Amino acid sequence: MSDPQPRKTDKEVSSEFTSYYLQRATKEFAEDLDKVRTADDFKNDAIHVLVNALQQGTAMFAPEKQRRVVETKLTK
Amino acid sequence: MGKRFSRGGFDTTAGGGGAGASSRKRQKVVHEGPTHEEIHASRQLSQLLAFGQDAVRLRHGLQSFKIFLDHMLSGDDNNGVDDKADRSAILRDYLRSVQPRESGDNGGEGSQQPYVTDIMQTWSFANQTNNENLMSAVPVVLALLLKVLSRSLEMVPFGLGICRTLLQKRQLELISRNLSADKGKAFIISPTLRMLREAVSFDGGAVAKALFRARASTFKSLVRNMGIVHMGEEAEDEKKPSPRTTAVLFFLSAIKYLHAEAKKELVSQRDIVAALTRDLKQDPPYLVLEMLAKLREGVLMDDKVPKEAKGGLLNVSTLVRIAGLYQYRQAEDSKLPSVVDAAHGFLMTACTTPGCGVLRMDQGFYPRDVDLEAVLPPAELDELGLEAIVWMNRYKKEIPVRNYTLANFLPNLRPWASVKQSDLVTAIFKVAPELVAAYFRENKSFTFDPKLSATWIGYAAFLFKTVTLPLPEHFSRGSGFPQLPPPTTVVIDNILPLPLNQKALVRCLTNKSNMVSFFATRILVVAMEKLDAAVKMYQHPSHTNGALWAEAARRLVDEFCQRIPGMKDMINSYRSIPETDILHREAASRLLRLCYEVTPQVALMAKFDVSPFLEKSLGQLSEQKHEDARDLAMSLKELESLLAIAGYSPGMRWFSTSEALALSPFTMLLKACVDAPNGVSLDGIRRALDSVAVEQQLVPAQDGHPGLLPLLEALQSLGQSSPEVIAHIWAFLDNCLTRCGTSPIKYLEMIQEHAQGLNSSETEAVASPLAVTILEQLAFAISAGDKDVLGGLGKFLPKLFGLLATAGESKALLDAIYAKIAAQFRGSKLKLAHKKIPEGAVFKQNVWPPKERKPTRRANETTSSNAPKTSEEAMDDDELQATLGVDDSLVVDNSALVKWATKAVDELIDDGYVISLIKLLASEHASIRKEALVNILKAAARIRESEHEEKEQIWLLLSELAETARAGHIETGPLPSPAVAFACHALTALRDPLSSLYPKINQFLVRGPAWNLDRLPLVDEVLLEEPAVGDSYYAQVNWLLGYLIEGLRTPKDLELFHKRRAKGPVLEWVLALAANPYMRLPLRTQVLRFLYRITGIEGGSTTLTTRFGIVNWLEAQEKACAEGNEAEKMLTRMYSGLKGWVWRTCDQERAGRWSKGGIKELL
Repeated sequence: MSDPQPRKTDKEVSSEFTSYYLQRATKEFAEDLDKVRTADDFKNDAIHVLVNALQQGTAMFAPEKQRRVVETKLTK
Repeated sequence: MGKRFSRGGFDTTAGGGGAGASSRKRQKVVHEGPTHEEIHASRQLSQLLAFGQDAVRLRHGLQSFKIFLDHMLSGDDNNGVDDKADRSAILRDYLRSVQPRESGDNGGEGSQQPYVTDIMQTWSFANQTNNENLMSAVPVVLALLLKVLSRSLEMVPFGLGICRTLLQKRQLELISRNLSADKGKAFIISPTLRMLREAVSFDGGAVAKALFRARASTFKSLVRNMGIVHMGEEAEDEKKPSPRTTAVLFFLSAIKYLHAEAKKELVSQRDIVAALTRDLKQDPPYLVLEMLAKLREGVLMDDKVPKEAKGGLLNVSTLVRIAGLYQYRQAEDSKLPSVVDAAHGFLMTACTTPGCGVLRMDQGFYPRDVDLEAVLPPAELDELGLEAIVWMNRYKKEIPVRNYTLANFLPNLRPWASVKQSDLVTAIFKVAPELVAAYFRENKSFTFDPKLSATWIGYAAFLFKTVTLPLPEHFSRGSGFPQLPPPTTVVIDNILPLPLNQKALVRCLTNKSNMVSFFATRILVVAMEKLDAAVKMYQHPSHTNGALWAEAARRLVDEFCQRIPGMKDMINSYRSIPETDILHREAASRLLRLCYEVTPQVALMAKFDVSPFLEKSLGQLSEQKHEDARDLAMSLKELESLLAIAGYSPGMRWFSTSEALALSPFTMLLKACVDAPNGVSLDGIRRALDSVAVEQQLVPAQDGHPGLLPLLEALQSLGQSSPEVIAHIWAFLDNCLTRCGTSPIKYLEMIQEHAQGLNSSETEAVASPLAVTILEQLAFAISAGDKDVLGGLGKFLPKLFGLLATAGESKALLDAIYAKIAAQFRGSKLKLAHKKIPEGAVFKQNVWPPKERKPTRRANETTSSNAPKTSEEAMDDDELQATLGVDDSLVVDNSALVKWATKAVDELIDDGYVISLIKLLASEHASIRKEALVNILKAAARIRESEHEEKEQIWLLLSELAETARAGHIETGPLPSPAVAFACHALTALRDPLSSLYPKINQFLVRGPAWNLDRLPLVDEVLLEEPAVGDSYYAQVNWLLGYLIEGLRTPKDLELFHKRRAKGPVLEWVLALAANPYMRLPLRTQVLRFLYRITGIEGGSTTLTTRFGIVNWLEAQEKACAEGNEAEKMLTRMYSGLKGWVWRTCDQERAGRWSKGGIKELL
């Protein structure tokens, strides 16, 4: 990583963090999510409700904390 | 409403001829479409439209004109006429030819000569002969004509003339008649409304005002017509709109072009408003979209329309009907914008914008009927506190609100079923905070009992969003805080809405679905943060009634603690999360951390040893399992929370290794910092390490010393230059750090010895005790002869010493130590990279000199729940009680005698049934005590026969307790409280073999069959002996103080504490504990709790003052507090408050005599 990457805008950070959070949550609760999908009341808007419910947890992370997570690199 | 016949416009339907239609009796209708011809010249057009008595010819003319106009509008030029321009010319010539020659008066519409007289005459004729086909045909043609004319600037005057003609009395009568035709006659009503719509919007609404003035005719039967809806299975054809559609469109055009006054009148009419939205759900999408857009622009956003009128339009039923559109079904291939989105946008504007007539200004968290200006007499407030406020406890069932429209509207929404509805409800909550508590108090049907379903998840999401809403500034709308705090029920309902009760939350946390527990944890996290914010507002320095607000804050926190699950449940929930679920673990660890910060009274009740979790987390980190860097960052957040908890827990074992972990937690953390990839922020971890290093005296405590930075830099530099080497030195380094951390005095003395060996000017020389520890341990490493380790050290030590020198430690001292190290290396024939400490070592990995360093206490200690006030004034009595008061936990519950019998052994031990029995030995009644004794023995026997892992020890404890109770003659009086408290705490410790007290308690139990009631068990063992398990000294002291505090209840109990003993009274030992400069805030507070407890016992304060000189002791402690640190400030306030409290509660005459007036002077 010789050339420094341009600093991401807050919006980019937020959207990247949200997508990470959602992806992570889907992975952690895959089994439960499958069960919800087969529940009787899973119809119409339910998928939006579910996605929204999972990703709203990003509100628990202040913008600078989101940036810290998003900008972490695994290179030594 | 009857079913409408499918009779369309006059062009598709033929009546039975003008005369035939006049008969009311239904005759057989012969359908005969009107004839027409193509128009080539204006003269031909004039002839076609010329008035005559032949209805068939008149229809023929109108139909020909209609088709002519249709072509003009559609631009279809394949019917013989070359181009559009020709048609326009024909029309223009025709209109010129029929234009009124001279208008006598241009001012009034009524006096003007009529335009298109022939057509108007035809209309009159149709009306006289009741020819419905013609009655329909005329407005059809006029509507089209106005539409064509509106497109050309040149033609506009003709159009205006026609519009004015329509406003003449004769025409108005015709319009009125057409509009009020039978409701089955859509083919008459619709074209008339269409014509009016063209007229009202013609030339930018030039005649709109006049049309409104003539509303008796032009708005005739509007409400009725809005109700004539399209019937039938199929959707309404856009080309053949129903009278409702055309009526609504006309109304909306009027709204667009009318002035505010007229709009106000229209929307104030209830029947119109009701008719407008009654059938909204069945309306075609374009109509709904048009309605929402026009009402929004024309009414909601028009500042000139008064709020009351807007409120009339947006009443509860309108809002409910528009909300009904959330379920609107729109064709998937529809090219129109989404109706659901439009309805949502409309409701968001309508319900959350102050000028729209729905939202009213509330009083924030103060209900409607609270008078914020009312002033209560200060004397009454001082005396009665919150009880002086009559309304404080009033709002448990009903909360009166100002926003009654919204309050009635909200229950109609289903926030759990749709994201948009949830957004709407929470947006309303945000602008009208008074509604939150009222909403949940009045809608109790929905519970939060966990169920893995879409509805439960939706509800959880909605509650999360509600909890994250910000608190209103000042809890009200004012520019400052009101005199009195808001009702506790309202505030708590905003922090943890009613469905989030303890029972439901516990069920969520213990639910087998991880996702359910995750959702509940997240809600608790944000609720804790909100409570913290609220408490800070209660503690704001601007309150004139500080004590009252402090009382309210305590009540709020108490109420909150009643609603959240116990610490045990939260710990168990965290414990049960799989290691790979990092989001869940992050949230749960953060929750535990917040418990320590926000509700320490709950957190410290549970004995939570964070070390195993910290070890596990560090272990995972060192294994570097994470493929995704972001996962690593998230795990670090969990680690940070755990470190903060470790900072709050008195017994964190930083320097003990376990089977699971090769290195001590401290070294693991250090390794994590060194191994962390670039870009991973480790500030929190570094701070924690640094403060532990200073407290444990691994590094000098002098101001300006960079703490652990040289060590970290040396390790990082080695990792960069020789990554293969660093792995070999960790074990050696851990050994040194552990030794140095557990016996700092020894190494400090060694440093001094080295310094004394130098010339006299260096006796005050500073060097890290770690340096001599390394020197001491090197001999063992060399004798072990591991070449890898020694090779690594050969590279590492020169770096470390070089950096220590750069950091400002005494060069001479370091040289002396280094020389001995070099000598050892020479002896071993192994290579040390430099024979002398390299000069000018540079910090490359870290910023040098460090920007800011807080040398002693941990940063997170400052965020204690009892957030310090801005000035260092003494704590008042209320605050002292809140900070240092501990409830009497030995309160007896007689039902314990029967409750235990039916429980399993595990429950007896883990759920406190046995403890409840033990407490009964302190009962005032001899019969209860005797009964308890029998039951304890029975329980002991049952436990011994069980499979419980600790059955022997617990049996022994209970048997000894029973024996002691017998010997202590419980027939005559209660067992001393310290013995009871000890038994309870010992039982808890015995349950956990990993408890650091486990060995000591067992040793105590095997010493004899009964305890000496004149002695306090384990005091000497904890305070004077080695901790036996790692560095658990502080944890053991904390445990000891916990039971001693509980055991202090009566003057008789107190005697045991100040009784003479060979080693001095126990109380003196407790006071001496505080002399330890490294004891941190939680333990110090515990000592103060102990003292505070004594002051609550009769004669306690006097004993403390006259026998132990407590006032001077407190004075000395206060002076010893460092400045600037928040934790120290907090302590200063406690010492100073307690000093006053002791004086106020002691026998002042006696104490005064004893001190010869000294105390009074001091205070």
